[in-house]
Amino acid sequence: MIKLYKYIAVAAVSCIMIGCVKDDDFSVPEALGTEENKGLEALLTSDATEILIADLKLKYSNNHRKPVFIENDLYLKGYVTSSDKESNFFKEIFLQDAPNNPTAGIKLILNQVKTYNQYNVGREVFINLKGLYIGEERVGNGVLTIGGLVETDQYGTTVKRLTEKQRVRQLFRSENTLELIALPLEFSEVTDAHIGLYVQFDNLEFAEDLEGARYFDPVQDFDTSRQMQVCSENLGYSYFPMETKSFATFKDVLLPTGNGTITGVISKTFDGSALVLKVNDLEAVNLSQQRCTPRSIEDFEIIFQEDFASAVDLKELDLTGWTNFNQAGSVKWVERTVEQNGFVEFNPLGSGNASNVGWLITPSIRKDASAYLYLNFKAAQSGVRSATNIIEVMVSTDFNGADVLSATWHKLEAFLPSQNSMENEFLDSGFVDLSSYEGMLYIGFKVTGNGRKGSASGAYQLDNIRILRND
Amino acid sequence: MKKSTIFFFVVFSVLTVVAQETVVKGSVIDGTTHEPIPNVIITIEESLQTTQTDASGKFSFPTDVPLGEQILKVEKMGYVTKRYPIIVNEGQTLDISDMTLDFDQTDTSTMYIIVLTDDELNDDTTGGADNVSGLLQSSQDVFQRTAAFEFSPSFFSVRGLDSEHGTVLINGIEMNKLYNGRPQWSNWGGLNDVLRNQELSSNVGPSNYTFGGILGATNMNTRASEYRKGGRLTYSSSNRSYANRLIASYATGLINGGWAIAAAVGRRWGEEGYQEATFYNSNSFFASIEKKANAHHSFNFTAIYAPNRRGKSSPNTQEVYDLKGIKYNEYWGYQDGKKRNSRVKEVDEPLFIGTHYWDVTESSTLQNTIAYQFGKSGNSRLDYPGGANPSGAYYQKLPSYALADPKGPDFAKAYQVEQEFLTDGQIDWNRLYDANITNNNSGLPAAYALYEDRTDDVQLTANSIFTSDIAEHISINGTLNYTHLKSANFAQIKDLLGSNGLLNIDSFDHIQYDLENPDNIVREGDTFRYNYNLYANVLSGFAQAQFKYQKVDFYGAFSISNTNYQREGLYRHEVYEHNSLGKGEKQNFIGLGAKGGMTYKITGKHLVDINAGFLSKAPSLRNTYSNARENHHIVHNISVEKIMSADASYIFRSSLIKAKLTGYYSKIINANEISFYYADGLSSFEISENQTSAFVQEILQGIDKQHLGLEFGLEAQVTPTIKLKGASSIGQYTYANDPNLYLTSSSFTNENRIDFGRAHLKNYKLASGPQTAYSVGFEYRDPDYWWFGATANYFDHIYIDISPLIRTRNFYLDGDGLPFNDYNIEEARQLLKQEKFDDYVTINLVGGKSWRIKSYFVGFFMSVNNLLDVSYKTGGFEQGRNASYQTLKKDATHPIPVFGSKYWYGRGATYFLNGYIRF
Repeated sequence: MIKLYKYIAVAAVSCIMIGCVKDDDFSVPEALGTEENKGLEALLTSDATEILIADLKLKYSNNHRKPVFIENDLYLKGYVTSSDKESNFFKEIFLQDAPNNPTAGIKLILNQVKTYNQYNVGREVFINLKGLYIGEERVGNGVLTIGGLVETDQYGTTVKRLTEKQRVRQLFRSENTLELIALPLEFSEVTDAHIGLYVQFDNLEFAEDLEGARYFDPVQDFDTSRQMQVCSENLGYSYFPMETKSFATFKDVLLPTGNGTITGVISKTFDGSALVLKVNDLEAVNLSQQRCTPRSIEDFEIIFQEDFASAVDLKELDLTGWTNFNQAGSVKWVERTVEQNGFVEFNPLGSGNASNVGWLITPSIRKDASAYLYLNFKAAQSGVRSATNIIEVMVSTDFNGADVLSATWHKLEAFLPSQNSMENEFLDSGFVDLSSYEGMLYIGFKVTGNGRKGSASGAYQLDNIRILRND
Repeated sequence: MKKSTIFFFVVFSVLTVVAQETVVKGSVIDGTTHEPIPNVIITIEESLQTTQTDASGKFSFPTDVPLGEQILKVEKMGYVTKRYPIIVNEGQTLDISDMTLDFDQTDTSTMYIIVLTDDELNDDTTGGADNVSGLLQSSQDVFQRTAAFEFSPSFFSVRGLDSEHGTVLINGIEMNKLYNGRPQWSNWGGLNDVLRNQELSSNVGPSNYTFGGILGATNMNTRASEYRKGGRLTYSSSNRSYANRLIASYATGLINGGWAIAAAVGRRWGEEGYQEATFYNSNSFFASIEKKANAHHSFNFTAIYAPNRRGKSSPNTQEVYDLKGIKYNEYWGYQDGKKRNSRVKEVDEPLFIGTHYWDVTESSTLQNTIAYQFGKSGNSRLDYPGGANPSGAYYQKLPSYALADPKGPDFAKAYQVEQEFLTDGQIDWNRLYDANITNNNSGLPAAYALYEDRTDDVQLTANSIFTSDIAEHISINGTLNYTHLKSANFAQIKDLLGSNGLLNIDSFDHIQYDLENPDNIVREGDTFRYNYNLYANVLSGFAQAQFKYQKVDFYGAFSISNTNYQREGLYRHEVYEHNSLGKGEKQNFIGLGAKGGMTYKITGKHLVDINAGFLSKAPSLRNTYSNARENHHIVHNISVEKIMSADASYIFRSSLIKAKLTGYYSKIINANEISFYYADGLSSFEISENQTSAFVQEILQGIDKQHLGLEFGLEAQVTPTIKLKGASSIGQYTYANDPNLYLTSSSFTNENRIDFGRAHLKNYKLASGPQTAYSVGFEYRDPDYWWFGATANYFDHIYIDISPLIRTRNFYLDGDGLPFNDYNIEEARQLLKQEKFDDYVTINLVGGKSWRIKSYFVGFFMSVNNLLDVSYKTGGFEQGRNASYQTLKKDATHPIPVFGSKYWYGRGATYFLNGYIRF
């Protein structure tokens, strides 16, 4: 009996010792990401060649803006700029081509939420492009996007998100996460080329009428655009919108009222009508400085002003004291009125000339050595689609009032429209400092383009040209 | 069920003449060991008078017994029942000493018990319906035994009632939890060999220990001196909840110096049960020691400790079952090549009971007990504050979601996700770790974490049970109870999955869980989310008188209880800044109960039994606080729950046939039910920012339920070796009114509640398992100690658990308070029709053999459940996500509903094999 009892005891103890069910002894796996790295290694050691983001985007532009199926063994390297941690991005990742001084960005769409905990900001990623598409998610929105599929409807063909399988097989992380240096930009500098880049704006603040408002306007359904402004050297402000999704976790946070810096990713509104800044989180918003006070027109004495109020539509410009000179081609500056606003325009389109160069030169303005003089004007473009179709602004102190080409012209720095600017939107030139010149000053606006039918030339427009003095 | 033998040659005659009164007394001993056997039930068959043997195996009938030739039935569970013919002469004492009972080598009941209570079918891992097999296992009644052993795998509930209506006691101490009123079976799981000493009183019938619930009361006695001397080693193998089980037990019986010791250790383990990744890991320890101080006083101390960990399995939509089969479980994924289950239930609550047994007089006993229980119970799950839902069966990862694309079915995507779900469909643990490590490197808190919802109870119970036979035909019982509970409830981080810390805020709504400690980063072992204590004090008393006469027995009992609850918040919730921290108001409830009944013996063969009871009681803690995790709010206008029950039975007993037919009616009045879920399609202006979805607490109050039906049981010993048996239950369990429904949520701008008025539930069926069940079967017992049996069981009228919110005005009213433009009553009726599951048949086989080798008994036993591998739904519930006519109708038009009902399936064919050695 005693013996058996012992057996039972031994059996009981051993069953407790041996029969362990390991249900709770899991530790952090060590081989994390091995599979993914294998995939990356295979990609990099294969025959696939790297394509730069900028070159990939060209494939789309060169395909009449229709999605391009990537048939070749190409891969792309990029650095993640966006984060959906705060749900301000959804099933999308923006990439740029370098951790600092990036030159091109692109969007990648995929069927994954909370990508930030995998493709974190600064992460170096490689995309095996073979079998994927480059196109737009919405026809004509201008945001070049890598997708996994295409879909065609009455508006055209668009790219769709990568499937989970495509993501796993074609999107690889390297072990590197690099610190991104935000690209400092001014509002007026932002162009389509900046889409996807991690940028920084300084000295900005939210518009006065947004005091008490939140990042997201509860009246809206999807996205809210909030106007940011900068007191530049211009009169008043220059503006740029920040967009916030209705799902953003910080949507109910009050907009800060101070002035400072915001970093974020350049994107576009849903319909592609405007460029916007989107922030990853509120750490990107540092507006704790005093609000700025813009220069007011009262601070200046206007010594010259022309707003073309007397313009007659499509009549060749012949204002007293002005010079309207066609250096090349037959086109000259003309007066325009649109919705009762008078302005002037130089439009080479349709002239048939191989080259059109037109000058518009102001009457002379006297400048003393001690005076501080500034030039300010508004300029817009209409239909400009070429980098060679430009407007320039110059000053001369030795122009004789007739011979444009023999005078000495000094190029001035001003904010000017270009093919990347919004069409028919007058941009403020900023305050162009003329203080270093003296004598009789002439301001010349020079537009270069060609006039062939089907060419990429468009028109440039000018309005409200002023010379201001501040002693 | 028991072998009955009539010993015609043993006729006891008068031994002594003491007085002029007629006395029948005697004693019972074990046929093998010659040790006295306590708690043997002695019945005089004609009058059905019964008594029990005491600790020294002695018995005596306290009242007059019928004269002349009588049959004395001697029975105890686990022993072969014997029937002794006796002759009772007027004015003489009949002393029948040392009647022997032999251990039943083929006792199926002990085997069955093992199978069923180990399964713990009632716990939340397997479904909404709970199970009372643990309550009924000691019953001798054929219907109840059938319910316990044949019906319970189908989540059949006796009379459609939850286990909270049955009271489970150990040594007179109530084991039903104050939190939900249900017994926590895990607390003593795996100790079947030492918890067989049970006494059941069914339904409203009288118990000597408690007033009980309307489903009855069962008392498990662990007094060390009442265990038969000897040991037992049992090994079992199964593919149900665990793979292996080993139990060793030994009892000394009463030894020198008045000591008695009983002890057992058990272990149950398995990597996977029937469902995927449902591991099982449990140890059990039991020790009981008794010291008889003298003839009147005895002290017993019992310790029970049965820590238990097991992996849970998920309810799934039909779409998921169709794709992955009925073993599919969404809660797990592979890690290091092993299946890791994210939802683990762990119960770890040791229990200590000290009892003083005092024989105050010859006919009166007083039992004073103090019990102390502490420990923890926890349910783990994944939190994903910064990550996507990690479940492989998340609705957006299923084909139905692609097919429900607003632009029309996306077949390509549906095919693709279907393939993905078919080949994987589980949690990707590595991805979770990777996400956290990625976040670490970015200086961000955890995207994922594994945490546990914990309840750490400390409960002290003291009671006194007085029993006295105050007169020849009258016995009285009385008890006085005091229970104090401190229940600490909190969420605790179990595993940060590689992260450095988790931010303690509601990541969805960006609400601070604890304003006292805002934006706190929590780590493994820290509490988060919610943290509060519940205090409960219950003082109760019960008095009962039982009268036993030759023709009629009757009884009456009263009870009174005073219950108070208090919540103490340890966090200050941002939304309930002034109503969450510190102690809340005390809630007090007074409950009263009264019951009575009688058994009328038309003859010894024909009996009529009638019982009726009324009980009012405090709502359980669970149903008192509408959202204890976040605030002090109690259910609006809360009051006691009232329960009425009555039944009448006709009983027929002959040596060949035993049959019982019972009709019953029970009504539960003014009950509350609280549930939590994510609701879509809410229509109210009081939800923040006019959204239509929120995580809500649904409070359904003033619910009336009606349970009525018939129970029938029949046993026929057609030959000495063959017994036929049959049982049936035909019930109708319905909601009996339209209770009021309101919602609360931290996402509502109305901090208190949004009232949705009446929920139109009247006449909807309760989801309490099959409302109709039949069983027929037979048992063959060979004299050579082998036996087998089979039953066929049929189940019908099984209904889904309906979502009450869908049946309120929220369903048909648009946000502006007017009905939806497209509201169509006919269509609405179709959408709201309660789903009835398919009927089905299960066939169960059982068989075994035993041998005696010298003084050892060796045996094995095997059972096969659901032999035909029939697949059947045991229960299910409507998802509350489609809360309005429009959302529900839209989902119904999809090829496969995205938020279809979720179901539990019963197990297919399973086996259980058991072998033992006893000495």
